[in-house]
Amino acid sequence: MSQKAYIVTGFRSAVGKAGKGGFRFTRPDDLAADVIKHLMASVPQLDKNRVDDVIVGNATPEAEQGLNVGRMISLMGLDTDKVPGMTVNRYCSSGLETIAIATAKIESGMADCIIAGGVESMSVMAMGGWRIVPNSKVGKEHPDWYWGMGLTAEEVAKKYNVTRQDQDAFAIKSHEKAIAAIQSGRFKDDIVPITVEQVYLDGNEKRQVKSYVVDTDEGPRAGGTLESLGALKPVFANGGSVTAATSSQTSDGAAFVLVMSEKMMEELGLKPMARLISYTVVGLEPRYMGVGPIEAIPKAIKMAGLTLNDIDLFELNEAFASQSLAVIREVGLNPDIVNVNGGALALGHPLGCSGAKLTVQIMNELKKRNKKYGVVTMCVGTGQGAAGVIEMC
Amino acid sequence: MENGPHKIKNKQLLRMNRHIKKVAVLGSGVMGSRIACHFANIGCEVLLLDIAPRELTEQEQKQGLALEATAVKNRIVNQSLDFALKSNPSPIYRKSFAKRIQTGNFTDDMSKIAACDWIIEVVVERLDIKHQIFEQVEKFRKAGTLISSNTSGIPIHMMLDGRSDDFKAHFCGTHFFNPPRYLQLLEIIPTPSTKQEVIDFLMDYGQRFLGKKTVLCKDTPAFIANRVGVYGIMALFHTVDEMGLTVEEVDKLTGPVLGRPKSATFRTCDVVGLDTLVHVANGLKANCPNDEEKALFELPAYVSKMVENGWLGSKSKQGFYKKVTNADGKSEILTLDLKTLEYRSAQKAKFATLEMTKTVDDLKQRTKMLFAGQDKAGEFYRKLFGGLFAYVANRLPEISDDLYKIDDALKAGFGWEVGPFETWDIIGIDAGLKLISDAGRTAPKWLSEMNEAGKTSFYNTEKGKKQYYDLASKSFVTIPGTEDLVILDALRADNTVWKNADTTIVDLGDGILNIEFHTKMNTIGGGVIQGINKAIDLAESSYKGLVISNTGQNFTAGANVGMIFMLAVEQDMDELNFAVKVFQDAMMRVRYSNIPVVIAPHNLALGGGCEMSMHADKVVAHAELYMGLVEFGVGLIPGGGGSKEFAKRLSDEFKDGDIKTNRLRHRFLTIGQASVSTSAYEAFDLGYLREGIDEVVISRDHQLARAKAACLELSEVGYVPPKREKNITVMGQEGLGLIYVGANSMLAGNYMSDHDRVISEKLGYVLCGGDLSENTVVSEQYLLDLERKAFVELCMQRKTLERLESLVKNGKILRN
Repeated sequence: MSQKAYIVTGFRSAVGKAGKGGFRFTRPDDLAADVIKHLMASVPQLDKNRVDDVIVGNATPEAEQGLNVGRMISLMGLDTDKVPGMTVNRYCSSGLETIAIATAKIESGMADCIIAGGVESMSVMAMGGWRIVPNSKVGKEHPDWYWGMGLTAEEVAKKYNVTRQDQDAFAIKSHEKAIAAIQSGRFKDDIVPITVEQVYLDGNEKRQVKSYVVDTDEGPRAGGTLESLGALKPVFANGGSVTAATSSQTSDGAAFVLVMSEKMMEELGLKPMARLISYTVVGLEPRYMGVGPIEAIPKAIKMAGLTLNDIDLFELNEAFASQSLAVIREVGLNPDIVNVNGGALALGHPLGCSGAKLTVQIMNELKKRNKKYGVVTMCVGTGQGAAGVIEMC
Repeated sequence: MENGPHKIKNKQLLRMNRHIKKVAVLGSGVMGSRIACHFANIGCEVLLLDIAPRELTEQEQKQGLALEATAVKNRIVNQSLDFALKSNPSPIYRKSFAKRIQTGNFTDDMSKIAACDWIIEVVVERLDIKHQIFEQVEKFRKAGTLISSNTSGIPIHMMLDGRSDDFKAHFCGTHFFNPPRYLQLLEIIPTPSTKQEVIDFLMDYGQRFLGKKTVLCKDTPAFIANRVGVYGIMALFHTVDEMGLTVEEVDKLTGPVLGRPKSATFRTCDVVGLDTLVHVANGLKANCPNDEEKALFELPAYVSKMVENGWLGSKSKQGFYKKVTNADGKSEILTLDLKTLEYRSAQKAKFATLEMTKTVDDLKQRTKMLFAGQDKAGEFYRKLFGGLFAYVANRLPEISDDLYKIDDALKAGFGWEVGPFETWDIIGIDAGLKLISDAGRTAPKWLSEMNEAGKTSFYNTEKGKKQYYDLASKSFVTIPGTEDLVILDALRADNTVWKNADTTIVDLGDGILNIEFHTKMNTIGGGVIQGINKAIDLAESSYKGLVISNTGQNFTAGANVGMIFMLAVEQDMDELNFAVKVFQDAMMRVRYSNIPVVIAPHNLALGGGCEMSMHADKVVAHAELYMGLVEFGVGLIPGGGGSKEFAKRLSDEFKDGDIKTNRLRHRFLTIGQASVSTSAYEAFDLGYLREGIDEVVISRDHQLARAKAACLELSEVGYVPPKREKNITVMGQEGLGLIYVGANSMLAGNYMSDHDRVISEKLGYVLCGGDLSENTVVSEQYLLDLERKAFVELCMQRKTLERLESLVKNGKILRN
C-alpha cells in the first residue's frame, strides 16, 4: 500500500504588519483563498475536483478564523463544493503540522492530493483569542501553564543566561539579513502578489475604493543599533530583558503547498520539488516553551536517518531572540546556516501560517543553493517544540 | 438689588437669547490653548488659531514640505495644543474632549470666526499686535458676536481705537488665570461702550457654565486680583527686609496656616516667575501715581539683584529656591539667603505661635490666635495685615465699588480660603482699625460711616443668603449672582436640625436635608455613620429627601484608616466584622431608604466616599472630582459595598453573547490599580459614576443647589426605593481562572508583590461571586458577606497591617 508523498510546489503571501500593514483590511479566508488560487493556477494539469482535502493551520480558530475556516477556504479558493476542508491548531507549528498530516495521509494511501498550509490574521484577532477562560483549578495550581509567551521568553533568558545585549545583537542581524534578502529578490519565487481593496470615505464622505498590491514583507527595518535597541523598555516583565524588538512581530499572512502521491504526479507529468522526510513534536515544561526545538531538532534529524552535519539550512522560527539563541547554543547549530534570510523578529510571525511559510522559504533557498536537506523548527505554545526535515528532490 | 422674581426672569431671558456653541480663541500660547481646552471641557466647539510660521523646520525640509502646506501652516498652533494636552495636571476633563478643538492659522482660517458666538483674543501682550488682530476680526466677525481680550496688563479701553460701534458694544476684557481649568477667577472688565446685556451675560455664563468665580472689575491697572495680590507680595518683600525673616519663615507664616496655598509666597513667586511679578509691579508704579503705597512697588535691593542675575524661579531653574543634585545623587532643595544672596540648605522655621495653632483645625479660631501671638510671628501678622486692611479699604471705590469683589478676586485668583475683608471680620472691625493705625496707615472715611450706620461687620447672613456691606446704600445687600445658590455656610446657623462631633444636618428648605461631615480630611468613622443613619431617620420621618455634601477642601479621603488599623492590630475578627457590617448597612440604607439620597462630591472622594457615592440614588458631581477605590494601597479591598457594587454593575453590564471576561478584567483592574479619576467625566469611564443617572456640574458654587433640586425632582416624580437585588449574575469559576492566571503573571513579571497577588485573588473571588459553577445568580447580601469576609481576612495578615501602619504613621503607601 505504501507510497511516497511529495511537495510539488508552494507559495506564500508577503507578510504584513498586523494592525497597520497592507493586509489590515484583508480577511484571513480571503487571503488564504488567493494563495490557493495562485497555487492551483501554477499546476494547470490538476483538475481541482481531484484534490482530496484542504488542511489549514491556524492558531486562533475563532471569529473570522472560526467556523472551521479550512472548509470555508476550500470553498472560496477552489470554487467547487467537492473538496472538503479542515482546520488544524498546533499553535505556531500548525502550518507545518498540516503538511505532515497531508504527507502521512498520502503515504498511508488515504489520499493522493492535498493542499496543506496555514493562515493567520493577527490584525483581526486579539492575541490568544477574544474570550480567554482558563480553568480555575489549573489556574490556581499551575498558573504558568497559561502564561503569556513573553513571560516564558523571560524564563528562558534567565535559565540559559541569554543577555539583553546578545538578544539585541541577534535582532539587528535578523533585520539586516531580511533586508538583504528582500533587496536581492530572494523571496520573489515564494511570494504571491495579493491585490487588496480598501473601501473608505473621502473628505466629502463619498465612498471610494482603493486597490493596491502587497508583494513585499513589511516587517524589516533598517538602521537598528545596539544603542537604539538598548533604549527600549522590557515589555513582559519589570526589570526583564525581552523587548518589542527582541520579540517576533505580530503579522498577517498565508502559505500553502501542494502535496501529491508519486503515482498521481506520474500520471499528470509533474516533477516533485521536495519531500518532508520526518516530523516530530515534543512536550516540555510550559514555562520554558521557547526551548522546545532543543529536543525536537535532534529527534527529527535522527528519525530521518541523518546527522546534524547533513543539514544544509535551518529555518528556526524566531519567536523571541532569547529562545532562538538558547536553541542555537544548546543544539550546537552553525549560526551561518540558520535563518539565512532573516527570521520572524524581522519578517514577522503569522502564527498558524509560519510553519508553511518557512517550508516554502527553505525549499526555494535550498534550490537556489543547490543543497539537499533543510530543517524547519519552532517552539510551540504551552510547552512544545516541533521540527521537520525537508529533502530536496 | 434685592433678590426678586423680576431679576431672575430677566436672567433666564438672557440665556435664551445668547447661545455659545462655538468659540474662537485667537492665540495658542500657554493661556490660549488652555482656555480652548476649558471651553472644550464644557461642550463648546472651539476654533483655535495662531500665526503661520515664516520658516520651515529642518524636519519639514527633510519631509519635502512647503511653507504653504497645511501641516506647516498649523504647526505652531498644533504644537501648542499638543503641549497643553500633555501637561500635568491636564487642562482637559476627558482626553476625547480635545476633538472638539479645531486648529488653524490666522492666514487661512480667520474667516471661520464668522461662525463663532464668542471670539477671545489671547495673543501676545502688545497693543499694536492686538490692534492688527482686531482689524482682521472686524473683517469676518458677524454683528452681535461677543469679542473679548484676555489681557492682564493693557488697559481695555485702549483697544477700542478704530473699532466699529458693534465691535465696541460687544467687547470687554475677560481675564482668565493660569491654569484656567483649575484657577477659579475670571475678571470681567467692560469699557464704557460695552452693552449691559453683554456684561450681564458674561458674568452669569462665566459662573454657571465655565464654573468660574466672575468678578466685575473696573478698567484700572492690573484690575483687582493682581493689583491687591502684587501689592501683598511687594509689601512682603519689604517686610521681610525690615524684620529680617528667612524665606522658609515667610513661606511657613503665609501658607496653609493662614488658609493660603502650600506654595505660600516665595514658592509661588518661583512658579509665576519673578520677571512677571516685577513687570506688574513696574506697571503699577508707572500707572498708579496716586497710590498711597506706591513706594512699595519700588523693588528692594535683593529683588533687583535677583532679576539682574536672572534668578527668576522655575523657568530659570533658580529663584528663591533652587533644586540641586548632590554628590550622592540625591536631589536637595536649597534656599536663597536674602542677606548674602547665596543658596544654602533649608532651615526649619519655628514659631511658638504656630506651634500653638497646630492642633486647631478651624481657620477662624486659628487666625485669631495668630494675630494675638506674642512673638515675632504675631508681630509679623499684625504688621502685614495692618497694611493690607488699609490698602484694600482705600481701594474702594477706586478699583471696585463693592468690597466682596476684592475678597472674591483674591480667593479665586490666589487660592486664599478667606479674603482680606473676611479676615478682618474674623478679628473684628475695631481690632483691624487699630492694626491700621499701628501700621501708620489711614483708614478711609467709609469705615467711619459704616460705624455710624451701626454695622459691625463686612458680611452678614440673612435667610440663608450671604450679604455684604454696600458702601453706597450703607446697608447689607445680597451678593449679586448668588441669589439662586444654596450656601451651607449661610444656612448652618439658623437651620441646623441635628449634629454630633463629626456631622451636621442642615435643613436646606423645601423638604430637603443635607448632612455634612467635618472630621479631619472628612474621613468616615463611627460618628459619620451615626450621622448618616440619623439623617436618613429624620428624612424618612419628616422630609422629602437627603443630600450628602460638604464645604471642606475634599468631599472625603475615605474611611478612617486609623480606626481600621486599631481594630486590625487587636486582631479581633468579631469586632472588625461588626464595624465593617455597620458601614455596609449604612451604605445599603443610602440606597434602600424610603427617601431619595443625592450625593454631591467634590475634589477627593476616595475609598469609602466612592463607595457611598456608588450607593446614591443620584450623584451630582463637581467636574473636579478625584474619585477612586484605593483600598488596595493599604492591603485591603473595598469593604463598604464597593467590591459588591462592582460585581453587581458587572452583572448589569452583561449582554447576551458578551465576552464577559473582558468586562471582568476592566472592573478588576480599576480596583486592582487603585484608579482615581482626574475629573468627574473620568469617574464615568472608570465605572464609578453611571451614565444616564449621575451628572456633572461645572460650577462648584451651583453644585448644592443642583443637588437639592435633583433630590426634590426625584421625590416629586414619586420616589420608590429600588428593589433589593437578588438576581445578580456572577461569573464564578468562569472568571476565577483568569484572575489566578493574571495575578500569577503579574507576580512572575515582577509587576506586583506576593501580597498584591493575595489581595488580587481575594478581590477576584468577590467579583466572581466565589467559586460557584458558571453564571450563578446570587443576592446582594451574599456578595456583601463575601466582601466583608475577604476584608476581615486581609486585616488578619501581617503585610496588610504593615501597610495600614505605614499610612497611619507616616502617611505613606507601603509596597510590600
